[in-house]
Order: sequence, then C-alpha cells, then structure tokens
Amino acid sequence: MSERVLTVEDLRVTLPVPTGNLRAVQGVSFHVDRGETLCIVGESGCGKSLTALAIMGLLPTRAERQAARLDLQGHDLTSLGERAMSDIRGNRMAMIFQEPMTSLNPAYSIGDQLQEALRRHKRLSHQDARTRAIELLDRVGITAAASRLKQYPHQLSGGLRQRVMIAMALMCQPALILADEPTTALDVTIQAQILHLLARLQREFAMGLVLITHDLGIVARIATRVVVMYAGQIVETGSASAVFSLPRHPYTRGLLACIPVPGRTRRGEPLGTIPGLVPSLVGSIAGCHFARRCPYAIDACRAAPVPLEPAGDGHQVRCIRHREFTTGMFSAPPVAVA
Amino acid sequence: MRARGNNPNGTNRGPPLLEAHNVSRTFRVSAGVLRRARTLSAVNDVSLAVRHGEVLGLVGESGCGKTTLARMLLGLLPPSSGMISIDGQPISSLGRRDVATLLQPVFQDPYSSLNPRKSVGAIITLPLRIHSAPQPATWRARVEAMMERVGLSQALYDNYPSQLSGGQRQRVAIARALINEPRMVICDEPTSALDVSVQSQILNLLQDLRRDLGLTYLLISHNLAVVEHMATRVAVMYLGRIVEEADTDQLFRAPKHPYTQALLASVLTPEPGLGIPDTHLGITYPNPLDMPSGCRFHPRCSRVMELCKRVPPHQTISESGTVECHLYGAPSPADLTGAQPWRS
Repeated sequence: MSERVLTVEDLRVTLPVPTGNLRAVQGVSFHVDRGETLCIVGESGCGKSLTALAIMGLLPTRAERQAARLDLQGHDLTSLGERAMSDIRGNRMAMIFQEPMTSLNPAYSIGDQLQEALRRHKRLSHQDARTRAIELLDRVGITAAASRLKQYPHQLSGGLRQRVMIAMALMCQPALILADEPTTALDVTIQAQILHLLARLQREFAMGLVLITHDLGIVARIATRVVVMYAGQIVETGSASAVFSLPRHPYTRGLLACIPVPGRTRRGEPLGTIPGLVPSLVGSIAGCHFARRCPYAIDACRAAPVPLEPAGDGHQVRCIRHREFTTGMFSAPPVAVA
Repeated sequence: MRARGNNPNGTNRGPPLLEAHNVSRTFRVSAGVLRRARTLSAVNDVSLAVRHGEVLGLVGESGCGKTTLARMLLGLLPPSSGMISIDGQPISSLGRRDVATLLQPVFQDPYSSLNPRKSVGAIITLPLRIHSAPQPATWRARVEAMMERVGLSQALYDNYPSQLSGGQRQRVAIARALINEPRMVICDEPTSALDVSVQSQILNLLQDLRRDLGLTYLLISHNLAVVEHMATRVAVMYLGRIVEEADTDQLFRAPKHPYTQALLASVLTPEPGLGIPDTHLGITYPNPLDMPSGCRFHPRCSRVMELCKRVPPHQTISESGTVECHLYGAPSPADLTGAQPWRS
C-alpha cells in the first residue's frame, strides 16, 4: 500500500550569480509514497520550483545539484546520465507546469504531443498510442476526444490545455507526478475543477503527487502532507491536518494570518503581515533564516543554524522556540504576526 | 434608476460618485483576411453605481468583460452605447485630465505599469507635472509625504523600479494614483501578482488609505476571499452582464445566482478536510463571439430549465441588490412567446 516512490535527502541547488553563489535549495529532504499528495508551499524565491526541477533533472545547466540521496522507485537519480534520465522522465515520473500555453508545443497537434511519450517510452504502434490518447483525454474530462487530437494548443482554452497537460503526464502511467503551480494561471472555477480532477486521477492511478504552490488554500484542501519552505529550507513539515490545525513555525503562522478567509477574518480589519524582506541567499546566513522577520526571534535564534526538530507524529519544525507555541496560548486561527 | 436596499455599512447614500447607465461595448474581431469581421460584445447593457465611501467589488472569470468595463469607467475607452457619469457629470463632457483628477487606476502588474527608466520620485511627481499643480517648489515634499504615507522609505526617491520588490512597486503605483488626491481609485487585480505576505500588506494599506482619505474604490479581483474582506458591495459579472449584485454580507451568506454559488464554492479556504469542491460547472467557457441563446450561463448551469435555453432572464430586485436569473422572477408572457432583447 504505502510503497515509497520518491526519497529526497539533503538536496542542494546552487546557482552562480554575479555576486557569488546563490544557495537556492539548502538541504531539503522529504519522501513521497504511492497514493499520497505532498504539497510544497512557499513564496517566490523559496526554492520550491528548483526543488522540483532538480528532481526531474531539468535544472538550468549553470545550476549545480547535490544530494545525499535522490531515489525514484529504486533508481538512483544522482548517478543517471542524461540519456537514462530521459528514459525516466515522462515515463516513471512526469511534470505538469504552470502555464500550459508555453509548455505545449504550438507547432504540433494535441494528438502528436500526447502520443510522443508513449511511442518514445513504450514503443507502441501508432494505432495503440492513438487509442490510449483518446482514452486519457476522455479520462480528464475532454469531450469529443477523437476530434481534439487534430487540434492545436491555441485552439483550446486555458482550462482545456491544462487538462491536455495532465493527460500527457498520465500517458505512460508514471509512479510520480510533479505539478508546479498547475492552476495559478487559471480562473478560480477552472482551478477547482482541475484540482478536483488531479485529486481523483491521483487516487485512481495510485500515484505519488508532488504539488508545488504558493496557495495555502489549495494545500489545505488537497495535501496529505505539507512541506513549508522559506529561503531555501524546509521550515515545517507534517500532515496537512497537523500543520493547519496547529502550525508551529512562526513563518507558517504568519502566512496563514495573511490570508483573508470569508467568515473567519473580520471584514476590513487589518490582516496579518510579515514585515521585512526575504534574506539574500548569496553567501550564508548565520542562524535561523526567518529570524530577521520573526516577532519571536531572540538572540539564540541568530547564533547557530537551526535544525529541523521532530514535534511528534511526523511533524517537524525548524524553530528553537516551537514548543512555546504548542500550548493553547496561540491556538488556531493563528495570531497575526504584527 | 434602480431601487436599492439599505446599505448596512453606513456609508453616505448621496448621489453615486461613479455611475454607468446601460453601458455596452462591442469590438469588431477579424477572423482572418478572407472572413467577415464579427462582433464581440464585451460588455452588454451594464448599469452600475458606486457611492461615496463604498468599496464595490467586481468579480468574474477572465473574459467576462470586467477590465473592459473598468477602462470605460476610467474614460480610457468610449462605450458603444450608454453613458458613464462621475459626480453627476457625463464622462464624455469631461476632458481626460478632469477625469484623472477624480478617478485614478492601480493596475495588476507593478512590473509593467511603472516606467523602468524613471526614478520613483519622477514617477510619483509626474501627475503633479501633468496637472500643473501649484507651487512646484513644494512638489518634492508632497511626494515624500505621500511615499511615507504608502509605506515607502524616502530613501527610495532616486531608485528605479527595477531596484524595488513587487510590493514596493505596487506602493509606488498607489502613491502615483493618490498624489493628486482623487476621490476614487479603480484597482484592477491590485494584488494578484504579489506573494501572500505582500498581498496582505497592500490590502491593509488600501484599507487605511480609504479610511484616512475618504476614498471610494472599485476593486476588480478574481480572488473572492479578497473581495469579501475589502468590499462593501459586490457585483458578479458573467459574459458581459452583471448577473448578481448585493451587499457583501448578503452575497456571501446567501448567493442567489447559480453562477455566484459556483464561484463561492470554488474559493479554497485553508481548511483541511473540506477537500476540493465539485463546482458542477461544465468545463467549457462559452466563446464570447458565439454567445449562447437565452440565458448566457445556461450551458454551464446546474439548475438549467427549458426556459433558460430560449429566453434571456430579466434583472429582478433582491433584498439588497439585483439578480438576473429565471429562478428569481417569473417570466412575462412576452418571454414565453419568443426571444426578447435584454431589457424590454
């Protein structure tokens, strides 16, 4: 049942920039089981997208990737060359990107693009590939699938394009799907439909799903487990219910306080904010990365790197004061970070 | 003018500051060299009133016409028919500058709405220059005071937009909009390009400014949670029509139009365990060049009736606003004999 699909240990991504080395991902570890949805959430620049690209082996060439372990169903991804990686990409793991218009090739029909992965990886005949393409378009809720195969991406709406992207990712029945902000470019009603579809397909195919988003609302609704990232590090991780019912890291608490929730936040009352800016990741930061913006920071926070500490039941927090937040004093909904 | 319910927010119920009367806008869309141009009806017979001190939220999916409506309200695009008035005066009788002193926009993308070659100070000073504000010697002090008011350090006066974060840029855009003390600001998706923690700062700022400067807002957003937090009234737009309008409380507590209900159901609040809602909306958004017959929403509506496919619904008065749906308001006998224009 809980077959491990992906194990990531101590993943690091460094990008050379004019001022030095930007340490975009700094020792990220997590795992994904079959049938599980892991959400990686954080704001721009926290390293969540680069984490996904590093797993897929799709980092920009100037970026440097290091990892103690990067294991997909027993395949050690760190040791694979480009040739072997491309046997895995689209086959055992597939990625869904934010903007379906730029990730679909405008010069090829939907049918050609859907069948490409199958014919590359499974060596299916043209006819079999076509049958499978129609079946999957149907599965993602696209009507008149056979006639859609001849269409080009520009002839489809954004929601339909994203459905095609999902169908494409499913073609070879991958064990793992990485979806990077799959609904950010879509309208709210379409977003709900696409997420509904992703959640259903993930169950039906018993895949592992890694969903990367900045939207805590999506995370709460779809995640089995959550990874909260800040400035290249995981600051909190645990089951969705644990993280949302009792967020322990001041950053997670701060983020939740920023979001207006109909019926919960009072209209017109100030929302929580997180003052200050994300620190530069060029060079190293002594101590907690969030300390400069944290209302609870004390001298000890800035003195030494803060490890990710267990907080019971698989919940882990990178905060030396997290135990102080677990008492009823700051129960959900979280306090506004002044 | 339409009858209106009481406004529970206690705002002045004087004459509307900004009003649209039966405004429509069509575009000619060319399909290719050899094909005949077709007419796209982006906004169809919309009436809207924003009173002093109100925050009117305008929501709807992309392509529903909300930005076209905003551009008409700003005087940037003439309506094909209908009239827009500001403070009782037709916008067509006012010059661009007159409109700009009353009404200012804040756009979605602070990366493209600021001139990258001008400094922050120059960007915020520009409206003073254009309107030949009195006492040029005081401009710098006014700009610095405004920067402080919107939470920008005065040290940024000589910086360029590329040196600023997204949130800082949006503050520059707000400062520029407010420097000439307009009465109303039209915010078109003011926070959707920003991170969550920055979004809340900008929303708080907009609330503070509204209270302190007595501003009126039209807030266009696809984020219903943001609209619920900010707006006193909400108008829901679908394919060029306002299908429901009501006080915010009313609309969120008891949405009437099936489209409003689906929109509200799509709001993903951070409440684990609720799962992803099934909105029961069909997956295809209609082509605005090929408008559905009858009610425009009928192909996606979960409560569609035979009548909806043939007859466009009339606007009916609800507790605190209007709704345009056959579920509320019986069709007139004329409706049942044949298709009628939107308003007879």
